[in-house]
Amino acid sequence: MTGASDRKPSVTGRIDWRFALGLGIAVLLAAAALLASWIAPFDPNRMGVGPRLAAPGARFLFGTDEFGRDLFSRVLVGARLSLGIGVGAVGGGLLVGGLIGLTAAFSGRIVEVALLRVVDFLYSFPETLIALSLVAFLGPGTANAATAIAVGMAPVFARTVYGLAAVERGKPYVEAASLATTSPIRLVRVHVLPNIVQSIAVLAMLGVSSAVLSAAGLSFLGLGVQPPASEWGLILVSGANYMHRAPWILFFPGLAICLTVLSLNLIGDGLRDMSDPRHARTS
Amino acid sequence: MIALIARRLIAAFFTVLAVLLLAGVLVHAAPGDPVTAMMEHSASVMPEAADDIREQLGLDRPIWQQVGSYAVKALKGDLGMSFRTNEPVARLVLERLPNTLLLALAGLGLAVMIGVPVGFAAAVNRGNAIDTLLTTVTVLAISVPGFWLGLIVMQVFAVKLRWFPVAGTDLRNLALPALTLGLAYFPLVARMTRSSLLDVLAEDFVRTARARGLSEGRVLAVHVLRPALVNMLTIVGMVFVYMMGGQVIIENVFAWNGLGRLAVQAMLQRDYPVIQGFIVIFATSIVVVSTCLELIYGLLDPRMRRQ
Repeated sequence: MTGASDRKPSVTGRIDWRFALGLGIAVLLAAAALLASWIAPFDPNRMGVGPRLAAPGARFLFGTDEFGRDLFSRVLVGARLSLGIGVGAVGGGLLVGGLIGLTAAFSGRIVEVALLRVVDFLYSFPETLIALSLVAFLGPGTANAATAIAVGMAPVFARTVYGLAAVERGKPYVEAASLATTSPIRLVRVHVLPNIVQSIAVLAMLGVSSAVLSAAGLSFLGLGVQPPASEWGLILVSGANYMHRAPWILFFPGLAICLTVLSLNLIGDGLRDMSDPRHARTS
Repeated sequence: MIALIARRLIAAFFTVLAVLLLAGVLVHAAPGDPVTAMMEHSASVMPEAADDIREQLGLDRPIWQQVGSYAVKALKGDLGMSFRTNEPVARLVLERLPNTLLLALAGLGLAVMIGVPVGFAAAVNRGNAIDTLLTTVTVLAISVPGFWLGLIVMQVFAVKLRWFPVAGTDLRNLALPALTLGLAYFPLVARMTRSSLLDVLAEDFVRTARARGLSEGRVLAVHVLRPALVNMLTIVGMVFVYMMGGQVIIENVFAWNGLGRLAVQAMLQRDYPVIQGFIVIFATSIVVVSTCLELIYGLLDPRMRRQ
């Protein structure tokens, strides 16, 4: 977020093609997740709706898994958990991280230094390590995985939100507003937040994409969502076990993850360039 | 320079200390206590012995004392005993460390070897078709989950072509997980290289060099390369940290006997001391590598030395 300091007033009227494409894919995926129960041709958890390890065809679009469950239905319904964990974790991480970042930026030198030390400490380790360390002790499960991912991402959010807020803090309009308003909470809510909300949106988009990846990774390791639920990372486990006999089990959930991550990255990149023309030129 | 070294070493020490304390505290986030977990996973522990073990492990003392004594012991090289195998954790973990570092080095090397030329080519061709193509490839590649890529790499090179063994931990087996890490993390390297080069290309001294009538090749080789190389250090450091996170999963995909594999097995068996040991050693190796990179940075860029 280098160009955040001299960002021009937002919408320039031009819609970035990446933003449009990403949004299109994301809307389709979200619709699939929300309408899964109606679209899915079979009960995703019912075994033996077809032969075991059947190849993709007209009846079973994505084929079947080792228990004869319909993969198309499982991938479709799996979108709910995968996207749900991603969005939930970013929501939680952004709330906690954002509050820490804003607090650091607007509450005096001592609090600022103390919070930044803690944030920088956590920031120097991979998010995955933090998430794994937490889930190791909390135990596996959907809610624990989401919590762990949220905590893993919080330092990134805290640091970025702090960076954005610290830039605004030095601007004349904030100084003027701070003379006119009494409470720092009001200052942040009314004056600062509206000016950094677009950059935070970019951050959130990219965050969801990495959270979806982490969630799938944790489930794949057996530390996230537990069977028999359908979640993309979990389906990939049987994909790995039946790799040579039924490669389609590996292919479709992986493709779903790729599409999700791609669409969110496109939205994030497009949104950033749209709101920050200077950045568009250099990167 | 000596001041920089001292400052970095002190910072590194405190970071490791904080990791130790955190690893000590985290155990208490676990539901129930470690001894209950131990009994669930090993029939050899009799319920009557539970209280003795609690006392022996110091679980009857206040938390801050337990955390403190964990940190003190760890600094002396004692990371406790594995619940499951009853071996010293320090040995278990240190045995696996070289494997993890070897894979990290190979993966990082590949990611840099692919990513830097891609990022470089995109930057010098900014805005034209080559840039668009490379940037598109990068965005596509960055969206592929590493472990899925690993499974595909395994399917293609080990199952179909039979060029490499499917899994294991000798040098022949290094190829596939390293290739996976290289493919998974080159987009990040390419992206960062591109934007760091574009920053350098926009500098005044580059414009001056061009104004002096130097050929584009000479401008790139003489004036752009050096500052760009210094930026590369930062990029390599950041990608290393990201990659170490992803590597935990890749090690499990390929049954590579590194720290990540040990850790996930321990997590599934609730072998808490081993998990703690993993966190401590894994985090410490990241701190050591980052600190070394910062010191090299200080060596190359005098501006880093005064702060």
